[in-house]
Amino acid sequence: MKMAKTLSSVIIATSFGLAASGLVFPALADVNPPLAALGPVPVPTDNVQTAAKIELGKLLFFDSRIGGDASVSCADCHAPKQGWGFNDPISRGYPGVIHWRNSQTVINSAYLGKLFWTGSAKSLEAQAPSAALGAVSGNGERDMVEARLAFIPEYVKRFKEVFGDDWPKVNNVWKAMAAFERTLIHDNTPFDKYMRGDKKALSAQQVRGLKLFQGKANCIECHNGPLLTDQKYYNLGLPRVEEWSENGMAQITFRYEQYAKGVTEKLYRTIKDDAGLYYRTKQKSDMGKFRTPPLRYTAYTAPFMHGGSFFDFDEVVEFYNAGGGKNDFTDGTMAKNKTKLLKPLGLSDGEKEDLVAFLESLSGPEIKISTPKLPRYAPLPAMAN
Amino acid sequence: MNRIKSSKIAWCVALAVSAAVVATPVLAAEFGAVKPMKINAKKAALGKRLFFDPRLSGDAAISCSTCHIPKKGFGDGLALAKAYPGSDGFRNTPTLINTSLKASWFHDGRIGTNLNDVTRESITETYSMNMDMRLMQERVKQDPIYVKMFKDAGYGEPSNGSIRKAIPEYLKTLTSRGAPFDSGKMSAAAQRGFDLFKGKAGCAQCHSGPRFTDDAPHNIGVPENPEIWSNPMRHITFVTFANFMGIENYMNIRRDVGAHIRTHKADGTDIGKFMTPTLRELKQTAPYMHNGTSKTLADVVDFYNRGGGKDVNKDPAIKPLGLSKEERANLVAFLEALSGDPLTGPEHVWKDKINVNYAVIKDWLKTRN
Repeated sequence: MKMAKTLSSVIIATSFGLAASGLVFPALADVNPPLAALGPVPVPTDNVQTAAKIELGKLLFFDSRIGGDASVSCADCHAPKQGWGFNDPISRGYPGVIHWRNSQTVINSAYLGKLFWTGSAKSLEAQAPSAALGAVSGNGERDMVEARLAFIPEYVKRFKEVFGDDWPKVNNVWKAMAAFERTLIHDNTPFDKYMRGDKKALSAQQVRGLKLFQGKANCIECHNGPLLTDQKYYNLGLPRVEEWSENGMAQITFRYEQYAKGVTEKLYRTIKDDAGLYYRTKQKSDMGKFRTPPLRYTAYTAPFMHGGSFFDFDEVVEFYNAGGGKNDFTDGTMAKNKTKLLKPLGLSDGEKEDLVAFLESLSGPEIKISTPKLPRYAPLPAMAN
Repeated sequence: MNRIKSSKIAWCVALAVSAAVVATPVLAAEFGAVKPMKINAKKAALGKRLFFDPRLSGDAAISCSTCHIPKKGFGDGLALAKAYPGSDGFRNTPTLINTSLKASWFHDGRIGTNLNDVTRESITETYSMNMDMRLMQERVKQDPIYVKMFKDAGYGEPSNGSIRKAIPEYLKTLTSRGAPFDSGKMSAAAQRGFDLFKGKAGCAQCHSGPRFTDDAPHNIGVPENPEIWSNPMRHITFVTFANFMGIENYMNIRRDVGAHIRTHKADGTDIGKFMTPTLRELKQTAPYMHNGTSKTLADVVDFYNRGGGKDVNKDPAIKPLGLSKEERANLVAFLEALSGDPLTGPEHVWKDKINVNYAVIKDWLKTRN
């Protein structure tokens, strides 16, 4: 209280100066950005959308020659028929490997400020190579990707058209993929229609769920704004991924991730759960934190959470109704970082059903796509030398 | 057969011939059997299992032994190597027999340090085994048989560092033995071939010592293998390689530059040089040359008899030899006498089935990683 008072007097004192310079003043109170219909997709100025680039990106998204042994493409872990994600708790990985986290949908990923469960990529252009080249995902290699593309005349032609180079450049692969992903937009849900003024778009039950979402259930604390996420990181106390106790290949990847993400040996020896944001910041206070996911298209993307803990909305709502859970990063085993925002909600069965009904309104028609026919390799012209 | 005796025989022969022919006199004492090396049995046994284990490749589909096949003299019998799935190779797989004694490795000699580095290169390179060694280490740690073998070998916990030591220790066991040349049981034709080898044919200018190589790069004008440039799967691998090696204009060249990737001479006179290969175990390792363009030993001898191939950078030492049909046959007989016993028994080959499925660590929560 005292702190707030001091702060506000500082702010009042400063505000004259700011007002004079015409700056907008930030709100002091914790007001969640309001829910809203989804707006236009942001496009970076250094990778503008063109029809030719988008079409090229689509081909590349489905082309397994980007992957190490030419057997896996983006579309294998971000499968259009599996909500543009992967419908197992833990994603498949590169052949001979299993991944260690749930595969997130590509749909609407273009709106996110950072990508991956802990925000480790700052753009779609940066996310694509991480996935395509990582040992447990695509296991590709830049020089090889570039060389393979040079032997596909259709790509040589398209890259030249779009980017102007004589030969395809590997960094433009990621740009084209990102451009394609910026077309994978889901903004015509019943919820969006409702927010745009069509009051019949939601059923009475869904409207009740919306009220709970913003009120008693307090989902809006984190799932707010037009994207229904604050894009911040929290530890909810989600359970450990079961695979790690049951599957040798999953145990390998678990240890590999600790090793590759550069934790201390002491931590490598003892850790038994995914420390999330910690791997980026190496701050104990970030252990077990993951980014709030957006909620559109979730009718197609089960299971949910970074470790795929829940198979349907009922399980998700039950989890929050119980005030979240506990794990090694909440109970003091490794850290005590559970977010204080989660408390038992005391929702009645009817209220839970209303909330689930509302969550269902965040998905519209499934986004389907025909798998493109991929161009073939051809020899380069002979040359004397 | 003891070495002194065979070298004595060779001496007499050399003296007898030297009066008559003599292109380049070579002391026969330079030749001789390949001496077995001191081996740490436990480390070598571990290296042997690793060598035959496909889990050391990115997608767990190929092992070292996929291209280095014991029954093919630890080559693969193909003109051009296979490569990691999704790629094809652009060079012939060299034998690994006696590889521990080499001065530098690969046909271009690009690694001149030791087999530890060669092992790393082969396991991690995108077109060979495409393995992230951090992941490899965790795979190996998951296999209780390895955990025990590493411990017993004195390496402690499995690590990618000790994997790169154990495999070279195994490679030290791959030593030629039992060749007629070493046992003094060469035929008369082979003996005549040896004389030609040291004399009129001039082979010994480069092929000398127990492994019959000077471990140096030379340009003898081996023709390009057109398959590399007509098959995109192979040409892609070459482009990947040449790009990484800093070869200029790598999209427009249609020849294997060889040792140029080591020396990068501005005038390009080092283009087309390749390391002199060993002549041991040739009976097991056809086809020949860095790109597999010679199918038989007779083809190889004919090639040299013609004075090699055409190349602006060709070594002037390579000239037409004027060998008769019989002389060529004798030379082939000699080359065949440099092949010994196949290394295909349990001493050199991991015979137990390797269970490539990963056992689950029970009680994982209470087990230290």
